Amino acid sequence: MDELLREWRVDAPLPPRFQEQVWRRIERAAARPESPPRTLLSRLLGGALPCPGFAFACLAVFLALGMAAGAWAAQRKTSRLDSELGLRYVQSIDPYRAGNSAP
Amino acid sequence: MRRGVLILLLGLLLGAAGFAGFYYLGTAACRDLMREPQPELAWLKKEFKLTDAEFARISRLHAAYLPQCAQRCQHIEALSQKLRELLTQATNVTPQIQALLAERAKTRSDCEAEMISHFFAVSRTMPPEQGRRYLEWVEHETVLRRQAMEARHHVDQAGPMTDEHPMHHVQP
Repeated sequence: MDELLREWRVDAPLPPRFQEQVWRRIERAAARPESPPRTLLSRLLGGALPCPGFAFACLAVFLALGMAAGAWAAQRKTSRLDSELGLRYVQSIDPYRAGNSAP
Repeated sequence: MRRGVLILLLGLLLGAAGFAGFYYLGTAACRDLMREPQPELAWLKKEFKLTDAEFARISRLHAAYLPQCAQRCQHIEALSQKLRELLTQATNVTPQIQALLAERAKTRSDCEAEMISHFFAVSRTMPPEQGRRYLEWVEHETVLRRQAMEARHHVDQAGPMTDEHPMHHVQP
């Protein structure tokens, strides 16, 4: 095989401006920006998150945050409704407050 | 990567479910209150921890008070209307205008007296501690509180509408 390869000669001519095109391709490749580093999210999704322990911890955090936000929103709504109903009671008995929209 | 995205989506879903569940449970009492025929009275029951019997008595007092209050308001409005008519033609305060002003002031005063009387009646229906709390609250929330006129003329903070208000000394 080695002998055959040594004896092999290429007689076909190179295409026109072959060298120039080769150098141009090299320049283009050198000028191309490096691929961006992997973002934190992609590293998290591809690396840490699929680990069972970390995944469970993340799910627990999401759940806890959702519950806390829900409780907080409910508390706000309840206190707002309390104020509104208190005002409605006052407006029902006090004619001087009947037209007021704010407590 | 794909597994990570799935876990993240699952986390978001769990968070949303936690939010919805806690919000739903936390606002259940509000929804019940709003379903009552008179939510403001139902609120009073909840706020002042009234029993069913106390609540029934207060509801009766409330129902009896409202038509009388409406009647007085209509009378005041009629007097105000007459006053407006007289004022469009007058250039001075005539005895008729003065009489109307006096009558309107008297009706307003009666209105306030009836309102205070209603507050006392309601507070007496409540347990003593809640009755006191109710009186303090209505005093603060209604026309009995310090008003713009007094504030404008810098009436002392310890004036009759605040700490020295007679309602503070009532034992319901």
